[in-house]
Amino acid sequence: MLKIGFGPQGLVVIEGRLDAAQAATAQGFLDTVNGSTTLDCSALEYISSAGLGVLLKTQKRLKANAGQLRLTGVSRHVHDIFRYAGFDQIFEIAPAA
Amino acid sequence: MTQAKAFAPRLDALAEMVAFTAAAFEREGIDKRLLGTVDFVLEELFTNVVKYGRRTSGTSGASDAPVSVRLELQAVVGGVQASLIAEGVADFDVTRAPPVDTSLPIEQRQPGGLGLHLIGRLVDSIEYDYQVSQMRSRVTFRKTSA
Repeated sequence: MLKIGFGPQGLVVIEGRLDAAQAATAQGFLDTVNGSTTLDCSALEYISSAGLGVLLKTQKRLKANAGQLRLTGVSRHVHDIFRYAGFDQIFEIAPAA
Repeated sequence: MTQAKAFAPRLDALAEMVAFTAAAFEREGIDKRLLGTVDFVLEELFTNVVKYGRRTSGTSGASDAPVSVRLELQAVVGGVQASLIAEGVADFDVTRAPPVDTSLPIEQRQPGGLGLHLIGRLVDSIEYDYQVSQMRSRVTFRKTSA
């Protein structure tokens, strides 16, 4: 399951598994985000290529309007996926402590 | 011992597949650190079958959904071997998907194709086989704790 929503201090918090079945839900929420924001990924257990597509599409839209999505609390496994996908070149990523 | 299960070719079957894989890892004593990667690869292969695998009938032009999708998992030395078998599908060799340039600036990046590009990099080996007479594809991959 996936939960995504606004958390404290204007962060967007994502929890659970961002897979193909949940991608539309995540995209629908992130389509409402504008400007620059931080996505707290500390409870993101898993991301698939569908989830990568959601983040990429969002970042393209935000950057085209001088904003961006920053990713924080990224687990080691998810960070590996991001690096293989070249996301470390197009996102600011802060790994989990 | 091989753990095997059939799944309906629908995206809402993903949760069931994830649960089955986790249970298979537990039963076979497979290193759980490999689970995230195995889930990623299986999801990519499965969703490709669900979204693009339908084979068109000859004269009528109607699309026929796959008869079934079956997953087989077994422990191997240091890791796991998994096979995803789909029947009633078109021939599409996932190991020959075009590469994606992940170094492009964001303006040139496209969301599509990334999954198939990544699975080749995440696993130790991957093989594709297609039997025309049965319209059956089999993708087998291995992942070990190297």
